[in-house]
Amino acid sequence: MCKKRIVVICPGRGSYTRDTKGYLKTNEAKTKNNIEWMNEKRKEEGLPTISILDASPFKAKIHMAGENASSLIYACSLSDFLAINQDKYEIVAITGNSMGWYTALALSGALDLKNAYHLIHTMGSMMKDEIIGGQIIYPLVDDNWQEDESIKKIVLNEIDAYISILLGGYIVIGGEQKVLDILLKKLPAKDKYPLQLPFHAAFHTPLMKSVSEQAMVELHHSLFEKPSVPLVDGRGNIWRPHSTDTLALYQYTLGHQVTKSYDFTSAIVVAMKEFCPDKLVLLGPGTNLGGSIGQIIIRHDWLDLNTKSAFINLQKTNPYLISMGNENQREIVSG
Amino acid sequence: MSLFNRAKVIDANFTQFVKSGNFPTARSQLNLSQTNIKPDELISIFESQVLSRQMDLKARVLKNEGKCFYTIGSSGHEGNAVFGKVFPYTDMAFLHYRSGPFFIERSKQIPGTTPIYDMGLSFMASSDDPISGGRHKVLGSKILNIPPQTSTIASHLPKAVGTAFSIDRAKDLDIPERKLNSSSIVLCSFGDASTNHATALSAFNISIWISNQGGHVPIIFICEDNGTGISVPTNDSWIEQNFNKRRGMDYIQTDGLHLIDLMIKTRQAEHNCRINRSPIFLHMKTVRLMGHAGSDVELGYKSLSDIESTEFNDPLLHSARILIENRCLSAEDILMIYKLAKDQINHVFDWTTVRPKLKTVSDVMESIVPNQTRVILPKQPTQKARRDLFGKEFSRLDQPQHMAKLINYALSDIMLRYENTLIFGEDVAQKGGVYNVTANLYKQFGVRRVFNSLLDETSIIGLGIGFGHNGFIPIPEIQFLAYLHNAQDQLRGEAATLPFFSKGQFTNPMVLRIPGLAYQKGFGGHYHNDNSLTIFRDIPGVILAVPSNGADGAKMLRTAIREAYENSRVVVFVEPIALYMKKDLHKPKDRKWIFKYPYMKDEIPIGEFGTYGNGKALTIITYGNGLYISLQAKKEIEKKLKKKIKIIDLRWLSDIDIFKLLKAIGICENVLIVDECRRTGCHGEGLLAQLVSKSNKTLNIKLYAADDSFISLGVAATATLPSKESVIEYALELVNV
Repeated sequence: MCKKRIVVICPGRGSYTRDTKGYLKTNEAKTKNNIEWMNEKRKEEGLPTISILDASPFKAKIHMAGENASSLIYACSLSDFLAINQDKYEIVAITGNSMGWYTALALSGALDLKNAYHLIHTMGSMMKDEIIGGQIIYPLVDDNWQEDESIKKIVLNEIDAYISILLGGYIVIGGEQKVLDILLKKLPAKDKYPLQLPFHAAFHTPLMKSVSEQAMVELHHSLFEKPSVPLVDGRGNIWRPHSTDTLALYQYTLGHQVTKSYDFTSAIVVAMKEFCPDKLVLLGPGTNLGGSIGQIIIRHDWLDLNTKSAFINLQKTNPYLISMGNENQREIVSG
Repeated sequence: MSLFNRAKVIDANFTQFVKSGNFPTARSQLNLSQTNIKPDELISIFESQVLSRQMDLKARVLKNEGKCFYTIGSSGHEGNAVFGKVFPYTDMAFLHYRSGPFFIERSKQIPGTTPIYDMGLSFMASSDDPISGGRHKVLGSKILNIPPQTSTIASHLPKAVGTAFSIDRAKDLDIPERKLNSSSIVLCSFGDASTNHATALSAFNISIWISNQGGHVPIIFICEDNGTGISVPTNDSWIEQNFNKRRGMDYIQTDGLHLIDLMIKTRQAEHNCRINRSPIFLHMKTVRLMGHAGSDVELGYKSLSDIESTEFNDPLLHSARILIENRCLSAEDILMIYKLAKDQINHVFDWTTVRPKLKTVSDVMESIVPNQTRVILPKQPTQKARRDLFGKEFSRLDQPQHMAKLINYALSDIMLRYENTLIFGEDVAQKGGVYNVTANLYKQFGVRRVFNSLLDETSIIGLGIGFGHNGFIPIPEIQFLAYLHNAQDQLRGEAATLPFFSKGQFTNPMVLRIPGLAYQKGFGGHYHNDNSLTIFRDIPGVILAVPSNGADGAKMLRTAIREAYENSRVVVFVEPIALYMKKDLHKPKDRKWIFKYPYMKDEIPIGEFGTYGNGKALTIITYGNGLYISLQAKKEIEKKLKKKIKIIDLRWLSDIDIFKLLKAIGICENVLIVDECRRTGCHGEGLLAQLVSKSNKTLNIKLYAADDSFISLGVAATATLPSKESVIEYALELVNV
């Protein structure tokens, strides 16, 4: 039987929430070994283990703090990845959003799992005492996911902070807190937006320069290897298994990726167009990146889908985007 | 496996030969350790080579299924991936059609680009194709600085030279409209057989000439020499003999089958060109695989053993050997890259086969006229600036003058206002043109903006197109209308088509001035009195202007420049030579054909007619010299008819709004079209047909055009042309007096 081609998408920092509590436990059957060494490592460092965190009542201060959230999300994504039935599905590329890039590096073999944990944990813990700046998320589309030019114009004109992430129909703005405070007042209110992302620093902005420099001191480029599967980064660049320059990959990961905008939209567009996968598979925890991916799909008329309702209808009958955080869809790729 | 399906043979051979280690011998002995080339760079290039090969293979399969519409491939030319690597994307590239590997490799310089999908769309002629929108299989990308080329006859070479010439000129003049970095160079690739085209020779010649004059033409001509022009062999030494040791153009030869040699020589060419700003001829010797195109069966003109021998020199096999020898990859790695690329291309190309196609007339024609750029026009020059510019002539600006003078004034004001305009052509600088229309401009604006060209119309228009690529509004001059004909493809095949094949993303605005038409008494004969505008009748998107007097001429020229500046239009501005110096209309010294220089803001919009009289007995429709003689005839016609008539000056011969013209004719039923050009193919011919078919009343209409003859000399020069007397005769005959 011909395998279905899939692109795997790794979620970022906001993906482990109150709703995903216990996610790891539910899905960890195949990954116990991988969780155990993480738990041991965290014990050594005096940190709560992944398993304990996952099982504990959700507390934002604990679960969303960098030193916990990143590792927890990494473990969940890894667990989901290992659950994919690779006899039926061929992974043709891996990408991710923001912190999901580090996960993608691990899943592609560009970092071994332990080194990836080290990277993720290091980057997540770098601002343990005081985070630098913050992030606001704001929609650039209307309720039907159609681009709202007037809103886009207002938002882009208002930005004297930085574009942190281009996230489908959303924009994530990063900057100093005082700048964000002004933006929170200035941007027209719309449902829960503008929304400041709790415990998020001004990731992917020049404010992270010191973090980038420190990371390069703490992490050596020899940790990096060539990926075994093509990777699509936060610029839409493809890193192919044989031609990847590992030094360049290291420099991108700890340099550009940390201090410049992360273009998740471009990553998804490139993954879809250059690999034309049969399915996109969004790893857990949670499913909250699905909306952004749907917005990208209809923005590019992919599969001839150009409305939110058309996308949702397809998702109901023969989903193109498989979210492993959704029990029914998970079955499709893990069964 | 069929002997005729060489694609299958080549595909199978690659895997088999890599597995068995049966590789072609290197033509040069070089290894990676002698260079600073990184192994990953070579692997990346190899991946682009393989992806491109898989595209060629898949295209042929899909062609047989009726899903793909272009099978001229890049197989054999995969060495050009190195150019995609070495030259930054800021170097504009005019590529020939075997440049798939270049395109893929260059795309890697800009993350977020999707070359495989985009090329698939182009192969399948999908309207989603981001560059041509399904109008042609082209290699092109706005972001990658690759204007799409449809040329199969080297007609893209002259404009590439023009673009190269424009780079340092734009820097020197510091024009804000410039698009290319001042350190950029230009790449232009073509095949060995193409070097024989007249257009190619024109391009080499002009670049060397400019370089020898001390001008900067940073261009690398990349000759991808596969030894065959469709079915005709190119002698092995022909290219080298022709291009080695030409003063003003360095020659570098490289082995297109050897990645390391290619990298070294290409870097050398790149460095030299960027520093020296002079042309380089980079000669890449390679092979051609799978024939000229999918439909070409090489066995019809080559022996099987020759074909097999060429196939054994597959650049991919050479690259594989180099990568293995230099321990960059194992044979297994190579086979894996080949397989993954095949899977990827097959999948992506299959996906693109179902993407939408252009369907309707309006879909296809949407980009004939470039997208409006809606730029802010430069401000009108101040009176002081004009006074300084014109000097003593300033006081004569309000005195009536003939057309040559008024167009000359208009050009001065235009150049003062639009700092990105340039004037060039034969004798236009110090001499001021054959008819003084460009007099003083050289003194006023200097050699950087007003310069003489070679006696070569192909390069004049080619330079114009090239300057247009880099933010200039060139105003080239073709000295006489007949001279245009040896360069017509530059207008017809290149300048006019660029917006069409690039969805308006690339444009080459220009105003091409051409003194022309007949009626020069006693001078010139046929070549200087050519009375045919037929060539302009069927070129979509090009605006044709023919003023009949100086005031109109100045106003129309301003419109032409504004259209080029604002809307990136190509305007052909034909100036009737015989009217240049005309002062009188009806009798000597009546001075009725001299006019005051129009106010600076006065223009004549495209499509606006000039109307003389409002009589209803007869309408004469004409332009240029035809207007002049019709006006001479008007008095007598009206006297004989005892009624008033109307004369319409078309002014703009494209596009004529036929309903607007019918409205201008009004209730008049007698219509005489007076066309000074040869009857067959003249604009009047088309007008006649259109007026008859579109009018909702029966018109009594005739076309009176010049006879289908060439122009003679001396007193016979006007024998075949409409005259005052013959117009009277035809007019009276039409209304049956």
